[in-house]
Amino acid sequence: MVSSSLSSKRYTYIHESGSETRRGAIDIHHVIINRSRSTGYARLMGLAFFLVILGVSMYSFIEKDNPVRTLSWSCLLSGFFVVIQSRKLVKKESVIIMPTFGIQIETQYLSGKTVSRFIPIDKVLKPVLVECVTPVTCYWSLSLFLRGEEQLTLVFKELRPSLKMLVPIWKALCTLIGTDQSEIITEEKHVVSG
Amino acid sequence: MAEPKLRVLMVSDFFFPNFGGVENHIYYLSQCLLNLGHKVVVMTHAYGNRSGVRYMTGGLKVYYVPWRPFTMQNTFPTVYGTLPIVRTILKRERITVVHGHQAFSTLCHEALMHARTMGYRVVFTDHSLYGFADVGSIHMNKVLQFTLADIDQAICVSHTSKENTVLRSGLAPGKVFMIPNAVDTAMFKPADVRPSSDDVITIVVISRLVYRKGADLLVEVIPEVCRLYPNVRFVVGGDGPKHVRLEEMREKHSLQDRVEMLGAVPHSRVRSVLVTGHIFLNSSLTEAFCIAILEAASCGLLTVSTRVGGVLPDDMVVLAEPDPDDMVRAIEKAISILPSINPEEMHNRMKKLYSWQDVAKRTEIVYDRALKCSNRNLLERLSRFLSCGAWAGKVFCMVMIIDYLLWRLLQLLQPDDDIEEAPDINFCN
Repeated sequence: MVSSSLSSKRYTYIHESGSETRRGAIDIHHVIINRSRSTGYARLMGLAFFLVILGVSMYSFIEKDNPVRTLSWSCLLSGFFVVIQSRKLVKKESVIIMPTFGIQIETQYLSGKTVSRFIPIDKVLKPVLVECVTPVTCYWSLSLFLRGEEQLTLVFKELRPSLKMLVPIWKALCTLIGTDQSEIITEEKHVVSG
Repeated sequence: MAEPKLRVLMVSDFFFPNFGGVENHIYYLSQCLLNLGHKVVVMTHAYGNRSGVRYMTGGLKVYYVPWRPFTMQNTFPTVYGTLPIVRTILKRERITVVHGHQAFSTLCHEALMHARTMGYRVVFTDHSLYGFADVGSIHMNKVLQFTLADIDQAICVSHTSKENTVLRSGLAPGKVFMIPNAVDTAMFKPADVRPSSDDVITIVVISRLVYRKGADLLVEVIPEVCRLYPNVRFVVGGDGPKHVRLEEMREKHSLQDRVEMLGAVPHSRVRSVLVTGHIFLNSSLTEAFCIAILEAASCGLLTVSTRVGGVLPDDMVVLAEPDPDDMVRAIEKAISILPSINPEEMHNRMKKLYSWQDVAKRTEIVYDRALKCSNRNLLERLSRFLSCGAWAGKVFCMVMIIDYLLWRLLQLLQPDDDIEEAPDINFCN
């Protein structure tokens, strides 16, 4: 049963939960990329075409003979590139929250492959919303402190959904491990309205 | 929580955990502005492992952007490389005024350039004095001229600094405000029991032992004063290349029991060293604003100083030329007026004259003035750059045009609406 959904330009967030009356029901949160299969492949093909042209033009400067050979090599290499990159095209990432049991994090790729990881509940210390700063940008991410692990574990490894979408998931995770949210002082009115 | 009145972004390569005058200035000013109800965000480069977003006291948000520093804590100048992250931060935090610090900071110049391109109000504070003659200074002054050609307002920390900045950059003096630095009088308090000045008079020197801070003058002055006054002893804190000369001086005149060398003194211990003394000696050859003499005066010490930027009232300081004989004369005068000094009264006067709250209020006025400046379009701004020099003006115009085009390209690739605004986090005290 779809409880709520949010949509932005790039992502759609869907929250599925069991019956409202039954406690202990499984909670599922999906974040889906708003691009069709064809758009993803089209982008890769475009990039591959660009690489072929680049390769041919560079080679024709360096080696003036046999353009057919350079063209065929460029096509082959770009083909490899398309195949490898297409495996990384993500369709959807999900978080399945099973009360008293644990969390399952799933990544579903366009090629149909699904990678999942189960984290038992006693391993989860705390879910946190972190601002990640890179040399060119800054974005929010939802991470988990896990017992025995030094590094934070990202809940959404490939996608970067907005804070509006991450907050309900973070709240659900807090409820799962029993963190008192009133301890955490956050000015949320801007998140809701913005 | 009420909506903040102003949202200020402080940009500089120099911020904590690096320690110095500029860093202190940015921190204290930010804290006082936060107390006045504004929102302040600081942007600096990453220091080692310290990268990402950190929150400091009072909810001061600091962005440690992971750009590598390349020399003297400065970010590598890529001119346009910082445009995406600066744009993201300005949009995320809904900034209204960008305040850059220190002419030597490449991140500051780049951020101010990008902020002007995007139409934000910019204010610049210059903290140091620079020369005009050597190659490094000439290039630095040209860069400064470029940045300041298009600025809304500028702040300097002393009249000396204002003269220096105006001459170096060709900026209109009417746009430059003078707001002196302040001192944390809560931290720099006189000792509860003042050391007696009947038997031994202690003269304290705390500075880096480099040429610019007048370490060579000390080498001449100390033996002469020790010869004239058998009851005077010196305490020298700080380290640097001239340390060796001072040690040699001690050996030559057998002053080991009268001149104590403490080595580098961490800032947290400066007060405890100052309160052991009666007189503070500053021999800097040049200084935009000497905070050290303010700290000493706040601790109730009488100051003997060369004529550097940063003024104390006449009865708290004895000024001298940077010449050994004149400095010895000044120390003699200081020793003679020492009995009439009341440290508590000095401290109370310093509290009123030099407070960070006062600096913040004055800076607020500068921000309001900057916000009232009209927004110029690209063509008007380009005409200002053309007056910077025959070929320099044209180079500056090209740089700004490319920056503008890159900004528009970024807006196409990542529209403004896509940049999510960060919520203001309210830390309950």
